Amino acid sequence: MLDQSELARYNRQLVIPDFGEEGQRKLKSARILIVGVGGLGCASATYLTAAGVGHVTLADFDIVELSDLNRQILYWEEDIGEKKVMAAQRKLSKLNPAVEITPIFTKITEENVFSIIDGSQVVVDGLDNMATRLVINSACVKQKIPYIYGGVSRLRGMTTTIIPGKTPCLACVYPEGVRGLGVLGITPALIANLQALEAIKLIIGHSPSLAGRLLLFNGDDMKFRIYDIKRNESCKICSSVSLH
Amino acid sequence: MSLYLKALGHLPTGNQHINAAMEVFVKAAIMPGFSELIIIVNPTKEVTREKLLSITMPWLYAPWPDAQRKGIAEIEVEGDTLRVLLAELSEQYKQANVDFELINPRIDDLDSDYDVLVNGKNYVTLPNGLDAKLRDDDEVKVKILWRWDG
Repeated sequence: MLDQSELARYNRQLVIPDFGEEGQRKLKSARILIVGVGGLGCASATYLTAAGVGHVTLADFDIVELSDLNRQILYWEEDIGEKKVMAAQRKLSKLNPAVEITPIFTKITEENVFSIIDGSQVVVDGLDNMATRLVINSACVKQKIPYIYGGVSRLRGMTTTIIPGKTPCLACVYPEGVRGLGVLGITPALIANLQALEAIKLIIGHSPSLAGRLLLFNGDDMKFRIYDIKRNESCKICSSVSLH
Repeated sequence: MSLYLKALGHLPTGNQHINAAMEVFVKAAIMPGFSELIIIVNPTKEVTREKLLSITMPWLYAPWPDAQRKGIAEIEVEGDTLRVLLAELSEQYKQANVDFELINPRIDDLDSDYDVLVNGKNYVTLPNGLDAKLRDDDEVKVKILWRWDG
């Protein structure tokens, strides 16, 4: 049941016909893990917390730096030098005290990844490098936890929703790219909010729109492109995983 | 039976790069890979999909749907430079309603969503960059770049 405060707080989304109180109750009991609380993770954490996801876990090993403040909107000047997950927890708890925010201050590795993702219904990508994404991808495939990839640079971004056993995983496509190209803060915010929307749809039982589809955003010409992607039958990570 | 597709589109006039290359044609065998296009220029040997059995981006076949069975499309390009080849590919994708604009008109260079290698070397290291002339059996790879920053 939702109480009076919740009915008021979430009114604008409760009136959405195929969302309603049932969707809100599903969000309230949901557990979402956000890996990386930088430009992407700050935005997805903010909107998932505001939407009323019951339990949000934040995993990151960075501290807040001045150069983060152009895009990592949960951190302010007063937070410089603080662990990102702690500053994020404090801000998010003020935004929505009903949401349980669990900070994990650690670098994600092959050794600890399973304990970090354990119990999560959805993992939302807020990382800033390919290697850790592939670690998360592999663990999510093995544990059959949906993983919503997002990545950005400059004015470009991309996202896809990985459903283990159903869609391609990140390793299927032999992804290549370059990091450290610079980021305009709006770009991760935009991609992260698409990721958050996909996460909410997964939680409330709606089909994710980007399962098996790669969305690319180009802020230079304001184009969105969506390409279908298929599983790699010989993928070393997911080819042996099926729904059954 | 091999599939042979002649270039359908006419490249825009007034482009010095293209005009300079007029009346020179190359054939190109095109193989979609995982998240890349592999193009063999004027192949002198049989082109096969050995080691490329799986295709994760089927839309790469969009301009040449009949080529899916064989896995290799063949086109003819008017001109012999890398730039002309990439422009022709983009044009054929455009005609198939796929936005795959490899050369960014704002910078007149390769768009940052992609990378291009010629025989394993990045195109920027070639003496003439995008205007490098292609030779028989050159392997051109067009890679779709993923985004890693957060």
